[in-house]
Amino acid sequence: MRMLHSLRSFERRICRLSEFLAVTSGARRLRFRTGYTFLSEKGCAPQIPIFMIEFRNVKKSYPTGTVALKGVNLHIDDGEFVFIVGQSGAGKTTLMKLLLCEEKATSGTIIVGDTNVTRITNRKIPYYRRKLGVVFQDFRLLPNKTVYENVAFAMQVVGTPNKMIRRRVPAILNTVNLADKHNSFPNEISGGEQQRVALARALANNPSVIIADEPTGNIDPQMSLEIMNLLVKINKLGKTVIVVTHEQSLVDYYKQRVIMIGDGVVAEDHVGGMFE
Amino acid sequence: MRRYNPFYFVLESLKGLKRNGVMTFASVAVLLSCLVVMGGFALMVYNINFNLEKLDALNEIVVFTEYDASIEEIDELAGQIAALDNVESTSTKYKEQILADLKEENPDLYGDVTDEENPLSASITITYKSNEGVPELDFQLRQLSGVRKIRNDLNVATTIGNLKSGIMLVFIWFLVILFVVSIFIIINTIKLSVFSRRNEIGIMRYIGATGWFITLPFIFEGIIIGTVAALGGYFLIRGAYSYVIAKVVSSIQILSFIPMADLSGLLLLAFFGIGIATGVVGSSISLGKYLKK
Ligand SMILES: Nc1ncnc2c1ncn2[C@@H]1O[C@H](COP(=O)(O)OP(=O)(O)O)[C@@H](O)[C@H]1O
Ligand SMILES: [Mg+2]
Repeated sequence: MRMLHSLRSFERRICRLSEFLAVTSGARRLRFRTGYTFLSEKGCAPQIPIFMIEFRNVKKSYPTGTVALKGVNLHIDDGEFVFIVGQSGAGKTTLMKLLLCEEKATSGTIIVGDTNVTRITNRKIPYYRRKLGVVFQDFRLLPNKTVYENVAFAMQVVGTPNKMIRRRVPAILNTVNLADKHNSFPNEISGGEQQRVALARALANNPSVIIADEPTGNIDPQMSLEIMNLLVKINKLGKTVIVVTHEQSLVDYYKQRVIMIGDGVVAEDHVGGMFE
Repeated sequence: MRRYNPFYFVLESLKGLKRNGVMTFASVAVLLSCLVVMGGFALMVYNINFNLEKLDALNEIVVFTEYDASIEEIDELAGQIAALDNVESTSTKYKEQILADLKEENPDLYGDVTDEENPLSASITITYKSNEGVPELDFQLRQLSGVRKIRNDLNVATTIGNLKSGIMLVFIWFLVILFVVSIFIIINTIKLSVFSRRNEIGIMRYIGATGWFITLPFIFEGIIIGTVAALGGYFLIRGAYSYVIAKVVSSIQILSFIPMADLSGLLLLAFFGIGIATGVVGSSISLGKYLKK
């Protein structure tokens, strides 16, 4: 399985290399005409960027002096499902914040798709974030908007035409099994349902990656399973899914890749659950 | 191509204004008061200047000739005066003409006076080039023969000039202070509005809203506050002005007022300009950090 990962990533690196060469040699048009045609079967369609996520020796210290990350090296491939685990205070949330560009790395490089996150300009951050869908432990829904409006809001914010919003929101709410809750307000539905609304909102702009920081932290175990099943389903639809959690039973149950953060570095990285 | 719905921004800003109703009201009230005071002051200065301009007769020196001077002598004197350094122009009035003017103005008093009995002397009115040169000019005039009397109101003229610039200075300081107060109040209103929507803003940023998309509703809030204050202030000033004119004009006839119709365009423009500028500047300052990301 590990070998398969590296093989896939190697393939993609070649893709990127050819892309790079085509650009640097000035043959922009050629790149689209020929460069991709023979590679496209391997997933290198010109309009869809390959969403590899890479952390190279990333360090983060907060102004308070806390060193949260001491040199993280990570590679997550396009379409992977990854659990990030570790004790409280290990630096998991910091890792996600760096990914979301909410905090700047002290040193090291973070590459997401075609974006060098560590070098991104403020003006480009919003456009970069549209490629990531985020789900938080505390849902962060707008209490004065209905379920439908909360999801539609995400699309309004990025300037989606109303016609498209009206078509897309019901479909997404269907995906997360909330077709019958369109007009409910967040305080009228359960925690599990609220988190599914948050998930729908994260999906609204069709991001390439879904990031969930302790998505089941505030909901009961049975509902947790439902959220996790949805995340797996979303992953099967082709999106990279990164789930931060410290619920070992969930991690073991799904048998996916697990990255353990400990003491500010990647302590373990293997496939198939924590205790295997 | 993605397009944003402009109604979204207006609607959001109206919602924000409603949510912080008290502060919104306070902002509008303060800005409106500022505009009214500014406007009232401006109108006052404007009218004082308007009335002072009529007194510009003060900016001249009048030379009276001897009573028995002949027309030739008067013309010669006028020629000598015109040749002096600080003299811009002269205009001569013979005593017959002055009498005729007086008769016309006040037939009861001067109607019977004949040219033979004319008690007046000819006058030569001088407009001069610079105020500074007036004392010297005065001295030179006294040296000329045929000059009986010199009327020189320079002191009055300079006093009025000083008064004018003094009023302007006070006015400008007033404006600056009121402008700063208005901006301060608006900054606080918008800050409050931002604070009550901080969750929404946080979510918007995670979703990938651009800085201007987040801030535009708040800028609009400033614009709406400015517009409402401008309109309210304008109508208030208008009412007050016509009231004052009606009261004062009937009691003090020597004062004249610029009619409101001549001023309303300018006033409205200035109010909208200042109101909207204050709103935009105030909200931009309170949004500084959001505009960056
Ligand atoms: N904004 C912050 N300022 C200062 N220290 C922080 C901040 N956020 C997190 N930390 C510190 O960084 C370390 C890692 O925190 P975090 O990434 O939240 O861990 P986790 O999500 O794994 O529990 C902790 O010691 C925490 O106290
Ligand atoms: Mg955390």
